[in-house]
Amino acid sequence: MQAIYVQILALILLSLGIATALCRRNVFFVLMGVELALNAVNLSIVGFSKTLADTASVTGQIIPLFTIAVAAAEACVGLAIIILIFRNQDSADVDNYSNMRG
Amino acid sequence: MLALIYFIILAVIAVGCSLCIFFTKHPLYASIAMVTTMLSLAGIYGLLGSPFVGAVQIMVYAGAVMTLLMFIILVLNGSRDNTTKRFDKVSIFVLLSVIAVACLTSIVLCHSTFAFDPATVRGGVDVTAHTLFNVSAGGNGYYLIVLAIGLVLLSAMATAVILARKRIASDPEKVLPEEVH
Repeated sequence: MQAIYVQILALILLSLGIATALCRRNVFFVLMGVELALNAVNLSIVGFSKTLADTASVTGQIIPLFTIAVAAAEACVGLAIIILIFRNQDSADVDNYSNMRG
Repeated sequence: MLALIYFIILAVIAVGCSLCIFFTKHPLYASIAMVTTMLSLAGIYGLLGSPFVGAVQIMVYAGAVMTLLMFIILVLNGSRDNTTKRFDKVSIFVLLSVIAVACLTSIVLCHSTFAFDPATVRGGVDVTAHTLFNVSAGGNGYYLIVLAIGLVLLSAMATAVILARKRIASDPEKVLPEEVH
């Protein structure tokens, strides 16, 4: 098992996440695509940290914890905003959200 | 060799479930596929030698975030009036650009030389805790970031409560019958 396999897997997951966030029109798919891209970046950080010596590799395994916490906060606020918009527009389609009228 | 077989199995599960997220129609099925992706990624973290990140991944992502997302999908019934198509004409160009960026990055990755260091640290609970909460003067100061993350989570929780509650209280359909009675 080589280090580049992990990076290739992270690249595939990042591409699929970005494609899901940009192609799909449902707002839940957009959120899930963003979460998938964040996960791919975490995997890439951990995979690169394993190529370093001892103290630097510990740093590379701690930064994903902060990323996961920030992603949890982002999902919390994002879902609250989705509830608000869904009550206003009564639709899960992101194309209907393009007009900023209240 | 055995690690490579495990890695290939977990990677195939992760990529397949990501393709399921990309192609499914109902968001609930996509969220279940997302949970499976999270679990296989946690297995890859354990395989790479950092089991604490894998445990946090299972607890926070598969346990908390995706459960919250599934709950919101079920509450809002988000695919009820989904008459729009899954993909439109813009999706072709988005796919082409994403594939082009992925090809460029993979060319750069294949030309770079890096390998696993055999002297790397296994990121268990003890190493992570000693580094995170090292409050001595010569430490890295990660405990300050832990405090800042706690503030971020607290403010996010307060923001979500205020955002979701204000709309219910000012909803005229709910308030009006109680005033009649």
